[in-house]
Amino acid sequence: MKASRGEKIAEYIIIILLSLLCVSVLYPFLYMLAISLNDGADAAKGGVYLWPRSFTLINYEIVLGNETIRHSYLITVGRTIIGTVGGLLVTLLVAFGLSYRGLPLRSMILSYILLTMLFSGGLVPFYIQLNNLGLINTFWVYILPGLFSVWNMFVMLKFIQGIPEALIESAELDGAGPVRILWQIIVPLSKPMLAALGLFTAVGHWNDWFAGAFFVTKQNLIPVQTFLQQLLAAQDLSAVLGSNNNQEALARSSQLQNITLMSIKMSVVMVSALPILCVYPFLQKYFVKGVLLGSVKG
Amino acid sequence: MFNKIYKYRWQYLMILPGVVLLFLFSYIPMAGIQVAFKDFQIGTSIWDSTWAGLDNFTFLEDPQFLTVVQNTLYISVLKFICGFPAPILLALLINEVTRPAFKRFVQSVSYLPHFFSWIVVAYILQSFLTLDGGLVNQFIGQAGGEPVFFLGSAEWFRPIVIFSGLWKETGWNTILYLAAITTIDPQLYESAKVEGAGKLAQIRHITIPGILPTISIVLILSIPSLITVGMDQIYPLMNSANHSVADVLDTYILRNGLQQGYFGMATAVGLLSSLISLILVVSTNQLSRKLNGEGLW
Repeated sequence: MKASRGEKIAEYIIIILLSLLCVSVLYPFLYMLAISLNDGADAAKGGVYLWPRSFTLINYEIVLGNETIRHSYLITVGRTIIGTVGGLLVTLLVAFGLSYRGLPLRSMILSYILLTMLFSGGLVPFYIQLNNLGLINTFWVYILPGLFSVWNMFVMLKFIQGIPEALIESAELDGAGPVRILWQIIVPLSKPMLAALGLFTAVGHWNDWFAGAFFVTKQNLIPVQTFLQQLLAAQDLSAVLGSNNNQEALARSSQLQNITLMSIKMSVVMVSALPILCVYPFLQKYFVKGVLLGSVKG
Repeated sequence: MFNKIYKYRWQYLMILPGVVLLFLFSYIPMAGIQVAFKDFQIGTSIWDSTWAGLDNFTFLEDPQFLTVVQNTLYISVLKFICGFPAPILLALLINEVTRPAFKRFVQSVSYLPHFFSWIVVAYILQSFLTLDGGLVNQFIGQAGGEPVFFLGSAEWFRPIVIFSGLWKETGWNTILYLAAITTIDPQLYESAKVEGAGKLAQIRHITIPGILPTISIVLILSIPSLITVGMDQIYPLMNSANHSVADVLDTYILRNGLQQGYFGMATAVGLLSSLISLILVVSTNQLSRKLNGEGLW
């Protein structure tokens, strides 16, 4: 079958359209990178589009030299690791426990869990409860409330139920208890699923700015995304330069004159986005699988 | 009975953390809804607060509340109208690409924005649209036009929200459709070709009918979200200049509740919106049962 002339042209048009789409996704990052690597005052004159015209690392020196930013990074990394590992563990345990169909009260527990997906108390009663538990202004407000994800649990449950029961039964005949079955059969078989769910959980933690903005007032507890959110509306550089921990940078006042709010902003946002850009290509094969499994009715 | 429960003691132990966490962070807040009918101050016990009848529901007479509801519906309906067909269209386009390497590349790139926060998106918008030195205004200036204050204007707010939403999620939302397309029997296309059907006819008579079940599921699942507009997206873009069109239910609750301390009133607003979404979810489920023969749960 030969492709007709019209179809050939159509394919070229599609390729051009999709290329434009890719450019529209990638270009903003390239542009922000160029601005962040360019002298601030020079960039403000305009005309920097693709690569820096007056190359400098001063923006990054200031951003990475800032105690608040470094600390917020630590908070983000900490909550991402603890929240992801803990979340996967709780989710896996609950899903495994519920995968036993003969479990007494199983359907009651399932309804108890499902109901929370349909109705919630809303933001304010949730906040009051966090306050009553003493979680406001602690690191654990990032971890505990989201530790058990109902959605991930149902995806995991569905996955475990797809594992041939014969495998589990033969292990039981060999005298293996549920804990051993979990670690020696279920976990090795669910690695791709755990990777996908772990990826989504980790990205959720990395990107969350809300908890840091409204459940925490201590500046030494805010994550990077909340710092970014505060800086977004900043009118001057005091958020980044104001503290006394930038003596070194301040000392170089001749260079500092050329620093602009925009160039600093762009370097902070690049610093927060780079880890995701770096790990993204390696994790791709996992998340598509995760989405597809999650989409099937549980 | 007790023997049976003892037999499953390990399983119960594994389930327990989940049950406790839901109790603490979902069920107690549900009981906390009584704040909507009470005169509550933070720092005191909910249970000891005095009943206030429907005093907290006076927001229903507040003209500002009506604006907030209108804003919410306006944005969510617009987002739905643009955001629902876009991934279907994109999936159809991607499917027509015959070069596998290019196809994979387009997929990877188009999924990427989903992994960045709305804060990062707000920064991108700022770098492109800001008044002094934003890329778009640089071009407007070069073309001899007057710079436009995109981020500080009420009329540009909705287009910006819609467009940035499309930019962030369209690629990601193609995943389900592309997966559905791969399950279509290739023989259907072969026999269509033999009968002389062109590409467009194949799309219309084979591909689209093939993904129709997926389209209907996605459609049904998106109905409940029609009354919520993601606060994540709106809040970073909100300022005093666009407040009149940007204020939605979630930001209204946030401002009155957490920022100004009207806990009772904000809980009442939240209760109302939770009830509406519950009704939407349940009726959507009924609808799905009628159409597909099975519910969502």
